[in-house]
Amino acid sequence: MNLTLISLEIGVALLGVLVLLAGLWTPPNRQHLLGFCTALGLTIVLALLVKQGVAVDPITDSSGGFVLDGLAVFFKALFLLAGILVTLLTMGFSNRLRTAGAEVYALNCFALCGMLFAASANSFVMLFVSIELITITFYVLTSLQSHRLRSLEAGVKYLILGAAASAIMVFGIALIYGSAHTLQFNFIANGLAAGHMKQLLLFQLGALLLLAGLAFKIAAVPFQVWAPDVYQGAPTPVTAFLAIGSKAAGFVLLLRVLYTAFQVQPDGPRLLEPAALLSLMAAATILFGSLCALRQRNLKRLLGYASIASAGYALLGIVALNERGAAAVLVYLAGYLFAIVAAFTVISILTPDDEDEDLSILAELHQRSPMMAVTLTLAVASLAGIPPLAGFIGKFLLLRAVIEPTATFPWLVSVALLGVVASLYYYFGIIREIFWGTGQWWTEKKPESARIKLADSQVVVLLICLLGMLVLGLYPQPLLELATDAVQVLKLAN
Amino acid sequence: MIDQELKLTLAMGVLLLPLLAAVSIGLGARRWRGLSAGLSLGASVIAFLCSLILFIKFHGAPAAIVPAPDAGIQWLQLGEEFKVDFAALIDPLSLLMLLIVTTVGTLVQIFSLAYMRTDAGYSRYFAGLSLFLFSMIGIVLASNLLLLFIFWELVGVSSYLLISHWFEKPAAADAGKKAFITNRIGDFGFLLGILFVWQIHGTLDIIELAGMGAVTTTTGLLIFCGAVGKSAQFPLHVWLPDAMEGPTPVSALIHAATMVAAGVYMLCKLFFLFTADALVIISWVGGITALLAALMAIQQNDIKRILAYSTLSQLGYMVMAVGCAGPAASLFHLTTHAAFKALLFLGAGAVIYSCHHEQDIWKLGGLRKKLPITFRAFVIGALALTGFPLMSGFWSKDAILAQAYATNQPLFYLGVIVALLTAFYMMRCVLVAFDGDSRSDAANDAKESPAEMTLPLILLSALSIGLGWSWFGLKVFLMNPVIWLGSKMNGAVPLNQISPTADLAAIIAGTVASLAGLALGWVIYKGAKEDPLPSKLGAMARGMRDKFYFDEIYAWLNKWTQERLSHYADWFDRWIIAGLGVRGTSGAVDLTGCLLRLVQSGNLQTYALLLALGLLVMLAFFLF
Repeated sequence: MNLTLISLEIGVALLGVLVLLAGLWTPPNRQHLLGFCTALGLTIVLALLVKQGVAVDPITDSSGGFVLDGLAVFFKALFLLAGILVTLLTMGFSNRLRTAGAEVYALNCFALCGMLFAASANSFVMLFVSIELITITFYVLTSLQSHRLRSLEAGVKYLILGAAASAIMVFGIALIYGSAHTLQFNFIANGLAAGHMKQLLLFQLGALLLLAGLAFKIAAVPFQVWAPDVYQGAPTPVTAFLAIGSKAAGFVLLLRVLYTAFQVQPDGPRLLEPAALLSLMAAATILFGSLCALRQRNLKRLLGYASIASAGYALLGIVALNERGAAAVLVYLAGYLFAIVAAFTVISILTPDDEDEDLSILAELHQRSPMMAVTLTLAVASLAGIPPLAGFIGKFLLLRAVIEPTATFPWLVSVALLGVVASLYYYFGIIREIFWGTGQWWTEKKPESARIKLADSQVVVLLICLLGMLVLGLYPQPLLELATDAVQVLKLAN
Repeated sequence: MIDQELKLTLAMGVLLLPLLAAVSIGLGARRWRGLSAGLSLGASVIAFLCSLILFIKFHGAPAAIVPAPDAGIQWLQLGEEFKVDFAALIDPLSLLMLLIVTTVGTLVQIFSLAYMRTDAGYSRYFAGLSLFLFSMIGIVLASNLLLLFIFWELVGVSSYLLISHWFEKPAAADAGKKAFITNRIGDFGFLLGILFVWQIHGTLDIIELAGMGAVTTTTGLLIFCGAVGKSAQFPLHVWLPDAMEGPTPVSALIHAATMVAAGVYMLCKLFFLFTADALVIISWVGGITALLAALMAIQQNDIKRILAYSTLSQLGYMVMAVGCAGPAASLFHLTTHAAFKALLFLGAGAVIYSCHHEQDIWKLGGLRKKLPITFRAFVIGALALTGFPLMSGFWSKDAILAQAYATNQPLFYLGVIVALLTAFYMMRCVLVAFDGDSRSDAANDAKESPAEMTLPLILLSALSIGLGWSWFGLKVFLMNPVIWLGSKMNGAVPLNQISPTADLAAIIAGTVASLAGLALGWVIYKGAKEDPLPSKLGAMARGMRDKFYFDEIYAWLNKWTQERLSHYADWFDRWIIAGLGVRGTSGAVDLTGCLLRLVQSGNLQTYALLLALGLLVMLAFFLF
């Protein structure tokens, strides 16, 4: 295998090992330096990736299991950006982990490495291995706050349910191999096109099980059950990483599997018609996430439900089965990255260690820290899809992809719009708490009023997120072009 | 090509520097008062210099003769049909307007350094000024109607912020609201007009539109609605006098020289859109505004309100000129008016500053000796406003009168009457406020203001005298047909094609009216201790003082239409929509949500079961 092809992945993995080693010799009061070095290292990797740019033709390794093309580069950049932000976010959080700081940075790197591989996965082996790398790392990360019962509980739940999902997926892959005799996406596509597939039913069953596994990753109904508990229990930086990194990995794999391996194209061989299934899934996901979030008062759990709904919206782009839809997914995820990281950053700063993340902690935030209040407000507005923020452009493009050129599923659009309306209620509930909240009205306790001092790393994260949300919202054209170029490799109809 | 790049760079500098200043003050610099003021002033000085270079270099250069939209940024393109470009349209007209805006803006900021010195919201004030400059420059440079509209609204927002600067004062907060809401009414029409234009021509790009010619009369009038709101024309004029609750430099910048002129500027720039019928209506709206406002100004006692009504009246003049097919005359007056009205407002500001915020002219008096510089500047401004021979206002007012004479004779006579009234009320204002004895302690202790305040007064005095003279070249510049968009000019009569008769009639009538008004004012108000008019005119004077009861009429109308309607709407909303619709729906949704959340019990075994069930459902869906 050509090592230069995977030099970035190797770099990130090495960075993780180095940080782990360096942690042995770093005194506890200097642990934040490790975070700084990790962020710096990741920034260099990101710079290298940007410098290397996109090759005109996709490069594959000799076995064809690893591909470096526009789509891969786009997602790698997204993951690296998320990794950098999450590392910075972790720096401000590390004193609450009560473990040596080095581990958490190293684990972040390993998960990130898995995501980078996922972005390039072009065979089911690569797909499975990268997903397992991500998930197993997250099992550990989730239960890292070992003094918190909730964290341990979330880790165990995630582990058991995740293992079940992996089992389903492996079974699916086995069925696919049994009928197609290959694991590489392009060969499967060729086989499908040439009509070589003997046991079609078996293949379809395998594909279905595989989709179920991926649906678990993006927390789509009916495989969403784990998400609220894990989001709530995991340490907040990990939740942030889970919400954007793990989810986006699921989506890039979904895009590749559906369009490259299964050739799900409007004019392709009609062997598998997942559009109807996926549209039902999208509708159910949007509704479930939005409805459950309505009365939720725990902030992290609320965002957990909200992120379920978000996955539903992103699925709209896949249901559309066209290039616009695929590009819209990319734009949506990019906007989602900044908003969700901003929201979790504010939550991680606001929640003291053992306290509940009830909505009432937001009271008086605009007095305590105007910057956090503004960032959280904009982040929430972006998630709700209010112009001129990044979230609006993403949601708008997704809906447009389903409506134009022909409304594939008219009822799906109305369900999505209903979800948007419902989401305004709970998102604006957050904003109401920030500016008009009176704290815990059921106790006599006055809300906190002391000003909050932010660490430098937290200020940097908040600023980057603010900038991202505003720039992508105000001037979306470059991102839109990047995304459209990136999805060219999927060879979709316009 | 180099020229084009230079042009774009400079224009972007002019546009973005004030924004940068506003943002950086908002983000942190506001803690240091000096730094905030410095940032804001620096941005506007550089913007002024850039505008000056732009104007000198391009106002008549061949490159600018054919105004081309300079390469901008494509903001958003969705599909083939919907494109919005973020581009600047730099033609001689916008260059002139840029120069006006940045000149007055800079002088006002210098003036504010001293005027606002003791204000607690010093930094906020300068941030507001910078934001305003940014939005105003955006209007001037916008290359398509959508962009124009966005900046149009931004100007409304910044004006709201500045009027309500002293938001703890209820009158100021209310005035801000009134200005904003009244403008919204006009803007609603404007937006409709823009949509109609798109429907008719399929584009919003100003250059492309210029090649296509007029739209329907209705559409033109809808577009005009925007100007009615922003330039405070009858019947939406009510907000401008109240806007005087803002700091006086703000009144000078926004409510005299620039923002209210935006409506007139827009009419001139989009002149090619209006049909002849639309123009007639426009001219009458302008004429009525001019007359009504001049009448109201006669019985005002607050020095700033007198100026506010005079602004209304002069804006009416400009709109009337546009309607009389003379955008050149209108812009000419706009330019000179910007200078002398800013001068008058800043002069009034200096008086108010020196007299401990006393604004009632009957409580002033005797300031001629105590504030010599302010007095002279104010008199120069007043003379320019009244169209006294050889002052700048003389030339521009004559241009408008000649235009009216040539196209619409009744409006010519109306214009002459307004000129007479103008001279009369300005004489009243000057005599009562500056002449005679001091009538209050505040006026007694008045001292001349610091140099930051007198310097802008002196500079603006020079402009108020000189702008109109032919050697200054303004008139020649405006007469040049190449500066106008739209090839046909749509039946406009350029300044240089006015017949000599019209010119002569305008000059004679204008001069006589001005002198007569001044003389009349002198006779009635020289040495007056109180206003003799109310006893002589009776009900008429009361009507003038109470602004012909427009506010009351609107309040009454509001009560009998909107409030009555809203009463029924409220009932319907409360019982049918909220009761049945919203509560019912939200209750049902809430219940579903609560039930669904029962699924998320937290029990691992349940979760695993659900996972398996989900898979089974999927399989079932696939197999059957």
